[in-house]
Amino acid sequence: MTDAVFRETAAEPRTQSVPLAHVSLELGHLYMEDFEAGAGRLREHFALVRPWVDAVRASAAGNGKRPRISTCFLIDDYFTRFSSPAELVPLLLAEADRCGLTVDYLARESGCAVADGVQIAAAVEARLVELPPPGSDGSRPPVSETGWLANGERTPGSAGAEAMAGLTTWSPPNETAARRHSVFADVELWDDRDGRRTWSCPFLAAVWQLARLGLLRYRGEPVLRPRPWPDGGFPHDWDALPPLIQLSPSAAPFAAYRTCSVLPSRFLPVEHAVRVVLSQIQTDPDALRQVAERSAREGVPVPDAIADRASYVFYAGP
Amino acid sequence: MTATGDTGTAEPVCGEVRTCLLQTSLSLTASAAEELLRLREDERVRLSERPNLHAVSPDVLTGVDCRLPTGSGARVRAIGTVAARAVLTEGRVLQATAYFRAAGAGPEQRQPWGHYLVRPGVLEPFGGLPVRAVADGILAGTRQAGELDLGAVSERLLTAVLRHQLLDQRPPFKSRRTRLRWVALRTRDGQAPSIRRFTLAADGLRTVELRVPEEIAPAAVAGLCEDLALHDWLLTTLVRMVERSRPGSADGYAVVTALRPAVDHLLHLWMPRARVAGALSPLWEVLEREPGFTRQWQTLVQRIRDQLALQAIPLPREALTAR
Repeated sequence: MTDAVFRETAAEPRTQSVPLAHVSLELGHLYMEDFEAGAGRLREHFALVRPWVDAVRASAAGNGKRPRISTCFLIDDYFTRFSSPAELVPLLLAEADRCGLTVDYLARESGCAVADGVQIAAAVEARLVELPPPGSDGSRPPVSETGWLANGERTPGSAGAEAMAGLTTWSPPNETAARRHSVFADVELWDDRDGRRTWSCPFLAAVWQLARLGLLRYRGEPVLRPRPWPDGGFPHDWDALPPLIQLSPSAAPFAAYRTCSVLPSRFLPVEHAVRVVLSQIQTDPDALRQVAERSAREGVPVPDAIADRASYVFYAGP
Repeated sequence: MTATGDTGTAEPVCGEVRTCLLQTSLSLTASAAEELLRLREDERVRLSERPNLHAVSPDVLTGVDCRLPTGSGARVRAIGTVAARAVLTEGRVLQATAYFRAAGAGPEQRQPWGHYLVRPGVLEPFGGLPVRAVADGILAGTRQAGELDLGAVSERLLTAVLRHQLLDQRPPFKSRRTRLRWVALRTRDGQAPSIRRFTLAADGLRTVELRVPEEIAPAAVAGLCEDLALHDWLLTTLVRMVERSRPGSADGYAVVTALRPAVDHLLHLWMPRARVAGALSPLWEVLEREPGFTRQWQTLVQRIRDQLALQAIPLPREALTAR
């Protein structure tokens, strides 16, 4: 019906595309305690990251063409508030610069929960499609634990065991599609305390990955888009800083076909949880198609599964 | 693939659509329809106002890993997602469709879940797909325990939408739900689409078997089947309403009361092919010739109008007989 004379835009909604680099390279993902530890900690971090950044650049250049790589840095202002952008950001940029690194884009973690008035994390949660254990025939919705997401079947609850008149035989949890032995993971997505929902770090990090992969949309429009931040001061309040700012005007696009994050190895469990989440999110099919078509046209096709587009370097560090 | 003259090939599209009256006293406006079908905050409801008001929800996915029903008793395990969507026509008739495309062949081992999620609405069999056997199994409706339950997926969505706070749960008249289960096998080499069977069974189940060119998207096939189901439901509902009104009975007031909801809520809904993909539109003509859906509808409408006209004549029966 594409050659129709009469059209209604509300009946054929379009999904807007975003510019895409080859790799979105994350130089760090630091919490307030890292900043509290002082400039020395930041310097140490960037010095440890630097060789891996060079390695990522070298490996991305493998196909002969000059790769488009953008760098980003995520500051946690969601779980704890510390200092102010005016104090911290210049320090961060100076320490990166000292190690020969440029931060192209800077994001606030709270922007992965809510940005520009859009409840991004809640919208992403509504896109979870839980993996079906064998035998799922569609007759029942997945056995969800509200606010939790697993990579398989949980151990039956103890309440159920009591109901069976003292039968308390334990049965193990089961990773679906495990390679013989299970590595079962159950990820907390959020908690509610004092009437306020707090999203978990792995869930926000999964949203962060989707943003970097160019797959976040809200009613067809990209969300968490970078805003140019011309040279100048930074505000004294975190809320006054846009959730994602572009610091280098000539940087490659923020979103990319693939992501690479260079993180201290203590982030490994968090990033495993991120993979559990990413592998159960149904992303916007149009956004997915746009990325697949463009990457294929450039001769660098993306892996099918979203989680496989994210890679990591875990360095032994603080 | 045993049936003689069968041109259907791999990758069939299968689905089940359930149709019911929206359980609310007044038809919904366009903006209310949009709110009702907003199954996910971040995704738009497709809304069309010409030639009638028609709203389509985003697809929601249900993960499955189970056997497919087969006519031959063959055991076929399939993994993937079944897509489901809700459709509201003229703010009055609600439908929920669960549908999937079956891949012709799939890996012999279950893949990571992310593999299936980037193929929304696709089920991959372990190994090859016995197309004819699966088509027969789905249409037969003799589902064994543990086999794919398309009806449950559409029913769950229908129930979820019907619980929405926008609805006052006071429908203007009583009606029954209908179920239409369909299978579209693929044609190749530019063969035109065709409708092989349209079966009305008892207990509100209809089955439809189609042949559709490969380039037609599963959602377009689902759209055609929703259109068929909508009009079949309208006919079924109107037939019952006329029956219940007992035309010719002495109580003229009761006849008017029984038929009035048809005028208020149903008669303007008849619009076959309003949104059926151009290539599939000829399939309707087959049903118009035999059994003649529109012919039956028009006869019923005429009958209702005649009844109402009769009751509108102010002369009491006694006056006529007394002359």
